[in-house]
Amino acid sequence: MQAIKRKKQKERIIENFFLICAFVAVVSVFAITVFVFYNGIKPFVSNSYPLWDFLTGVEWRPGSNMYGIFYMIVGSVLATFGAILIGVPVAIFTAVYISELAGSRIGKVIRFAVELLAGIPSVLYGVFGLGIIVPYVLKISPNAQGESLLATIMVLAIMILPTVVSISETSISVVPKEYREGSYALGASKIQTIFKVVLPAARSGIMTGVILGIGRAIGETMAVMLVCGNPIAGIPTSLFDQIRPLTTNIALEMGYASGVHQELLYSTGVVLFIFIMIINLAVNKLVKAKVGS
Amino acid sequence: MSRKASDFLVKGIIYLATGITLSVLLFIVGFIFVKGIGLVNWDFLTRDFNEKVVYAFMESNDVPLGIDEETLSKKNPYDKRYETHLEGPIYIKNIGAAIAKVAYKNHSTEREQFVITYIEKDSPFHSVKDSTGKDIKIRTDYIVQSINGNDFSGMTLAEVAEAIAAESGELKVKIVQPGGGIKSNIITTLYMVLLSLLVALPLGVFGAIYLTEYAKPGRLVNMIRFAAECLAGIPSIIFGLFGMAFFVVALNFQISLISGSLTVAIILLPVIIRSTEEALKTVPMAFREGSLALGATKLQTIFKVVLPCAVPGIATAVLLSIGRVVGESAALLLTAGTVAQIPGTLFSPGSTLTVQAYYVAKEEGNIELACAIGIVIIVIVIVLNILSRITSDKLDVFNKR
Repeated sequence: MQAIKRKKQKERIIENFFLICAFVAVVSVFAITVFVFYNGIKPFVSNSYPLWDFLTGVEWRPGSNMYGIFYMIVGSVLATFGAILIGVPVAIFTAVYISELAGSRIGKVIRFAVELLAGIPSVLYGVFGLGIIVPYVLKISPNAQGESLLATIMVLAIMILPTVVSISETSISVVPKEYREGSYALGASKIQTIFKVVLPAARSGIMTGVILGIGRAIGETMAVMLVCGNPIAGIPTSLFDQIRPLTTNIALEMGYASGVHQELLYSTGVVLFIFIMIINLAVNKLVKAKVGS
Repeated sequence: MSRKASDFLVKGIIYLATGITLSVLLFIVGFIFVKGIGLVNWDFLTRDFNEKVVYAFMESNDVPLGIDEETLSKKNPYDKRYETHLEGPIYIKNIGAAIAKVAYKNHSTEREQFVITYIEKDSPFHSVKDSTGKDIKIRTDYIVQSINGNDFSGMTLAEVAEAIAAESGELKVKIVQPGGGIKSNIITTLYMVLLSLLVALPLGVFGAIYLTEYAKPGRLVNMIRFAAECLAGIPSIIFGLFGMAFFVVALNFQISLISGSLTVAIILLPVIIRSTEEALKTVPMAFREGSLALGATKLQTIFKVVLPCAVPGIATAVLLSIGRVVGESAALLLTAGTVAQIPGTLFSPGSTLTVQAYYVAKEEGNIELACAIGIVIIVIVIVLNILSRITSDKLDVFNKR
């Protein structure tokens, strides 16, 4: 009896230990939120910098105590929007090819290529952008440098490809065969079936892929840092203007910043964090909607 | 437009898009290989990134040349990426070594220097101490810059040989250990992978065990799942900010190997939890029931039956994690630093391959070197990709059986 009891007790302890391990994820999310928000809200609570100036300012000059991130928000949003505009159609068509048109062997090869594209670290996309895209943009640009919104958009468009392709492809391939057969039976061609039946049926999955792509684009740091130019002021008005997304602002200056400067970098992180949270919630809602239907 | 024509057009667009995706990949990989391959060789993998100057103290000792001149002249341990042979080599008896003059040129500096090409068996170079009296090793690709304060810059090889031969007794030689390699970055990356896995693997695997084997559906499980999803969606720069605020500042770990690896461990958690969960779910329920029916406890069932079956899945998780660590840069930039050195302790900084690639591209504008590092990274990524394919196939095979 005693032995069984002890055994049971041991099992209980270990179960709780497993629970604690699983709970580390929750604690981490909590800690990340608390630490970033705590540091980021501090300057506004202690009145060392006005929140309004921070959110609407268009100059970031730590030397003269000017910390405005509005032009960074604009830069981040424009770059992400441009990347989606270019990257998503290419990605969805590629996904259509892989799951609907390609033979199984070619499909496998392309899928492997897409996976590889996903595995390439972001720094290397940046190096590629700096080595190829930036010089090319410089050739057609009226400005004196190739680092620009356009170069950033190109790099980000490439970087979201694998995310959008693989998620769209998965959701296209789970569309039931009967849908296609029904469409064919009604006399629709293969292309008509794809665009009128299959893609609408896979809509929510594709949307999830797009939103994850947005998340990746807006959170991308290292690749963007190499090609965006990082100006200290100015809302971008043309594709050839330099931009300074929120992410690179943090990465560039965190290494040496201190005091209010450092806290406001955390505030930049908070703004980014809020963007990401909105995106995460959207994904969550979409996934739930899909499960519901 | 007829249906046939419009179908044809759309098909064309689909092919074009796929072509773009494929060619982008080929173009990027091709660009990195073409641009960087010229710098990749054995020296690149085995040397430190930075040059290191040492003062070597030794006793001069006449040693005759033990090999013939022709063999000697064939010894050329130059770094073929940067060094081209100019003069020599000339064998100098009192240091028992041969020296040649080479031209050195990399993307930012150009100079002439004197390289040790051969060290004789009984050479005093084999018993050298540094200024603190510690033994140091002198190798054949090292550069000599001065002897007893007599600087060699601007001299011809013959003059240098004469200057060295004129010295006797205790010699103080300024020696440069050549740089231009990524050994320290490779080792830092390795440390980072090991340390972060050491933390994240048990947490992730045990967490997944809880979620699949113990947890009853409900609030708690939803919360944990939601947290893991959130973690997967947070961009790495935010992890970097957190690592900076928590590990670097609050726990006072400084910018270091330990701060970096703990930050990365959090990034790995969702990856490991998710793949382990998937693996555990593929183990048929009948296996568990069979084990329980034989009188095994739940814990015994998990460790003796379920986990062994899920090993390929966990291996996949490990491979994916290694890929994540190798590719990680933004978080490590803020928590582990950009110093190209092998971290001596857990609390010293060091840059991984990816961070180093960023650093040379951004701070030095050296695209070739960044691409050369990129080649090493891509090779690692491809190998991991193939390996993870094999392990996940193993899991499938097991399931079909």
